[in-house]
Amino acid sequence: MDELTPQEEIAQLRAQVREMYKHVAISRLSAGIIHEINSPIASIFSNIEVLEKSLDVVARQLEGTASQKTLRILETMRSLIQVDRLACERISGVIRSLKIHARLEDEGFQDVNLNDLLDDSIRLVNAEYKRRVQIVREYGELPPVECSPQLMSQVFLNILVNAAQAIEGEGTITVRTAIDGEKAHLSIADTGHGMSEDCKKRIFSAGFTTKPVGVGTGLGLTISRKIVEDRHSGSIDFESEVGRGTTFHIRIPAKQNRR
Amino acid sequence: MQENPTAEVVLVDDEEMVITSVRAFLTLETEHNIHGFTSPAEAIKHLEVSPADVIVSDYLMPQINGLQLLAKAKELQPEAARILLTGHADKSSAIQAINEVGLYHYLEKPWDNAQLLLIVNSAIERTMLLRKVQKMVAELDNAHDSLKDIQTRLLKAFL
Repeated sequence: MDELTPQEEIAQLRAQVREMYKHVAISRLSAGIIHEINSPIASIFSNIEVLEKSLDVVARQLEGTASQKTLRILETMRSLIQVDRLACERISGVIRSLKIHARLEDEGFQDVNLNDLLDDSIRLVNAEYKRRVQIVREYGELPPVECSPQLMSQVFLNILVNAAQAIEGEGTITVRTAIDGEKAHLSIADTGHGMSEDCKKRIFSAGFTTKPVGVGTGLGLTISRKIVEDRHSGSIDFESEVGRGTTFHIRIPAKQNRR
Repeated sequence: MQENPTAEVVLVDDEEMVITSVRAFLTLETEHNIHGFTSPAEAIKHLEVSPADVIVSDYLMPQINGLQLLAKAKELQPEAARILLTGHADKSSAIQAINEVGLYHYLEKPWDNAQLLLIVNSAIERTMLLRKVQKMVAELDNAHDSLKDIQTRLLKAFL
């Protein structure tokens, strides 16, 4: 990599600070929204259960005396209740994922099931891209991995969103996990447009982006690398071929060496 | 387990819909009397005059938060079990609550109805047992006093 002049370095650091501020602002906003949605969704969940049980009581009382039409109405009500329940489960699934990502206070390192954490990030990415991008999961058994869940989910989200944006039209992202010696090995492969040789050299530098202004800041991968390498003593690398796609590999030791 | 007797349940949440939902559920499943309040101040007024067996409160509310309310409830009715039902999932506030206010349970929104029912009913059982123990201790004290009285009179009669 080329040496940076002090001015360039300052500019990069400034950009990183701006990006972090933005992240905090978005997290704070999401935390507020999550709290706002939590009570109504809890209320609906409870109501669905009460309605279902009440319907059973009514149905039992009408047994033998109800007309065909009444029976049909009861049946429709039952199926609507089922639909409402599924709809709510979907909403609360997204909220749960958002909660992990938006957690404001740093809860530090914990033993984390990375497959579950990936599922949460995938759920968020699906919200935006599932119409054209299919995400395939090929998870292996992983031991609990000592990491910061909210920092790691930031990395997953970054790479998954990059992968989805690299795909023009329809395509697939394959997420694999496996244990590799003492490390968890995660790979995220897309069938997108791949990277040119010039891109490959520069993707980890701050401020580098191929996306239009307002879409990318060119900091996602810089921050991801800092999180994986500096904070978790892991490694992040990739292979890419124009026209075939890109695969990112993240390796994180299951146990962190205490300093 | 024995059937749970009728109890007085106080619900406090600034969201009317949460009260309506929990009330509907508990009314369907139990014989308890449910007293719902969207204002913590109103709930405190109620607790000043009417006995409660269990108090279920939200955490984030305007003016008085759930912990302050439950601390006041503890002062007014120490035997009543206190449950915090909160959408504000934050471990440190939970620990603070359990230590400072002596919470019976900490529940997160969205709650699970089956779990809520179990916790409310066991909280009521605990409250009723506590009252029973207090009553028995009082009876024991009375018995002790009258025994002492008899003993004094006996001694007097013999001396």
